[in-house]
Amino acid sequence: MLSYVLRRVASMVVVMAIVGVSVFVITRVVPGDPAAILAGDDATAEDIARLRSTYGLDRPIFVQFGVWVSGIVSGDIGTSIFFGQPVAALLADRTEPTVLLSLLALMMAIAIGVPAGVISAIRRGSVADQAIIGFAMFNAAVPSFLSGLLLMQYVAVELGWFPVAGYGPPETSTLGRIPYLVLPAVSLALPNAALIARMTRGSMLDVLGEDYVRTARAKGASEAKVNLKHALKNASVNILTVIGLIAGALLSGVVVVETVFGLPGVGQLVLSAVSRRDYPVIQGALIALAGVFVLVNLVVDLLYATIDPRIVY
Amino acid sequence: MKSIVGCKRHLSSRTRFWASGIAALVVTVAALLFTTAAAQSGSVLRVATIGEPPMLDPMATTAVSTGSIAQHIFETLYTTDGNWEIVPLLAAELPETSADGLSITIPLRDDVAFHDGSTMDAEDVVASLQRWLATSTRGGGITPFIESISAADPLTVTITLNQRYAPLVAYLSANTAAAVVMPAEIAGTEGPLATYVGTGPFSFIEWRPDRYIRLERFEAYAPRSEPSDGYAGAREAMVDEIQFIPVPDANTRLSGLVGGEYHFAEGLNTESIDSIRTSGVAEAEVIEPFAYPVMIFNTVQGAATDPAIRVAMQTALDLEAMMIAGLGLPEFYALEGSWYPQGSPFYSEAGTEHYNVADVELAAEQLAATGYADEPIRILTSQQYPFLYRMSVVAADNLAEAGFNVDLQVLEWATLTSVRGDVSAWEAYWTYGSFNPEPTSYSFIVGPGAGGWTNDEKSAILEEMNGALTQADRAAAWAEMQELLFTTAPVIRVGEMYGLAGRSNDVEVGQDYRSLPVAYYWNVGLR
Repeated sequence: MLSYVLRRVASMVVVMAIVGVSVFVITRVVPGDPAAILAGDDATAEDIARLRSTYGLDRPIFVQFGVWVSGIVSGDIGTSIFFGQPVAALLADRTEPTVLLSLLALMMAIAIGVPAGVISAIRRGSVADQAIIGFAMFNAAVPSFLSGLLLMQYVAVELGWFPVAGYGPPETSTLGRIPYLVLPAVSLALPNAALIARMTRGSMLDVLGEDYVRTARAKGASEAKVNLKHALKNASVNILTVIGLIAGALLSGVVVVETVFGLPGVGQLVLSAVSRRDYPVIQGALIALAGVFVLVNLVVDLLYATIDPRIVY
Repeated sequence: MKSIVGCKRHLSSRTRFWASGIAALVVTVAALLFTTAAAQSGSVLRVATIGEPPMLDPMATTAVSTGSIAQHIFETLYTTDGNWEIVPLLAAELPETSADGLSITIPLRDDVAFHDGSTMDAEDVVASLQRWLATSTRGGGITPFIESISAADPLTVTITLNQRYAPLVAYLSANTAAAVVMPAEIAGTEGPLATYVGTGPFSFIEWRPDRYIRLERFEAYAPRSEPSDGYAGAREAMVDEIQFIPVPDANTRLSGLVGGEYHFAEGLNTESIDSIRTSGVAEAEVIEPFAYPVMIFNTVQGAATDPAIRVAMQTALDLEAMMIAGLGLPEFYALEGSWYPQGSPFYSEAGTEHYNVADVELAAEQLAATGYADEPIRILTSQQYPFLYRMSVVAADNLAEAGFNVDLQVLEWATLTSVRGDVSAWEAYWTYGSFNPEPTSYSFIVGPGAGGWTNDEKSAILEEMNGALTQADRAAAWAEMQELLFTTAPVIRVGEMYGLAGRSNDVEVGQDYRSLPVAYYWNVGLR
């Protein structure tokens, strides 16, 4: 098990390296000059040239790459051109909103999707099944920024059930931040809940047709025990796979939702960094996100082992 | 497929492992969730802004977002009043200029305190002005005219010029690229500004990027005695704390205002005015003057280098249609040929017969008389500013009708700035300029600007404006410049554009309250 984990961590580093190099190249190939943006509309060519030189942007691209890589190796993932602060500090400050939002959205997606999928499978063909499938398709089709805006307008502004936007005043406790995350989490969760529901339903239907389910019923097990202990547990390997992939989808989905709801998270940081061509932040943030995605999938793979005793690493 | 249920593999020890792991996780999460920072008392004004300012050093940038927040912390020697006239702020009175215009004496107030407890004196002002000359975008242009800056006595500063430079005091009264006063020790430090100590009604608490900038009331603030009038006069900190919160999405700023999250919402889309008015919880503030949309030509290379061709384009444009497309409601624009509004010292009708001619046939005739050979007119625009984008689409249509070969390129803003840097790649681009009471502060007036506009007559008029003895002389010279802007059309100014902000009904403002382009929040209280 330990050697498996170590091998996976090593491959995580490789993935992050590939992402880093790709992002480095892409950001510099795309038009747009961070120095020109920082200097502003009224700046002269000399002002811009001076800024480019200050930030080392006028050096050959291989030199810039070398400087950046040597920085990473010594633990410094760069300094933001726009903020003048270390990228690591900027990311650390924004981790809390994004992590809380993603976890909340994931929990909601699972809490809605799994039961919906189970009910749908057990009552296949019924009105409940069709309603759930219809609801799932609808939610999969509606983009999260649209559902976010609608929720904000009707639930927050008109009904006043939740705060409208932002992350709360400075003195708020972490628990006090949760109300600010509910509507954003719902808009992120709904399309993913739809996916989980469909996957759960499909997986359950596969399993419910198996011999051992018939045997369990023949042995006199209650329907609940058949469905939950026998069917769901066997179906959960596939469901877990989808959840792992959704974790990745959530990380990209937060970019839109954080902007709509004004949450100071990693997603908003990346979006504004791209607009401003803040290369160090774009690079650092995307590598970090890639690392998180790989880590989440590693956790999912380890969880397989707890569910399915046949899996040994 | 075999069921995995019922396979037993040392479940008990594995179960114990996972159970203790989950228990530890739950305890940690609970501890995190229940931590609370110290509670807050006092009135807190929450302002939703368009985005993070690039910095809080008001000298080093012309960004309005910086100037707006920094003017609560820092003050300048002079400022402008409700009619855009220059009046003293940290100075005791307007400066005395010697007969030859080469020596400017500025008397200082003796009652001004810094946030660190020290008192402002001439040494602080001298050091601050030196820093401003070195770091501000305006300072670079002024430095050749300055011979020396010195403290004649603890309450008097003397600026010696090597030639007459009339706009100097105007630049000292600007609130962007602002000549603010800070303690001499801080002004003298190298590198970007790290400590924010000023004389303003609010002092700096903290800046958490993308979350908030917090300022608190400065108890020892010494206001001016005159009544408030625009940026001038008495400034009172009527709330205990201001929080500037960046909210990049305009709809979210609006929803937050209506939903009670924010007391002010800046930079709203003009379409939102009805939502604010019908909400019952907020007032709409139309900001007048605010800015001007402008199409800037490349006068260095390409099809637009011929002034006759540019004038033909000017003739073709239906500015009213463009304003309606861009801003929607007549409340938000004025079709005024004069670059300065009525009441301002620089108001003039010179050249305005060329303004908003909107005659496509005449434009076609004018075009035919030039050497235009159907070269593509590449116009850069961006959806970054939706109102500009809509105007540019109407403009492209007008020009095409007049016979121009228009290539409207819709680019993302960063790409646009990049393409603009290549003089062979564009003939015109769209942007908007912020209102500035001093005419020579516009980049394409004081210098060539992004379009590279150089012209002998322009240089001569600029010299006249810089060397003028009186305000009236400067205004007369500006009128000549305005005429030149219309007859050679290096840029096309669409008109006056107004902005929209929202103010919650929980906010209490006095009779003298005005919404100005560089927004301020003193003299503003909470019920």
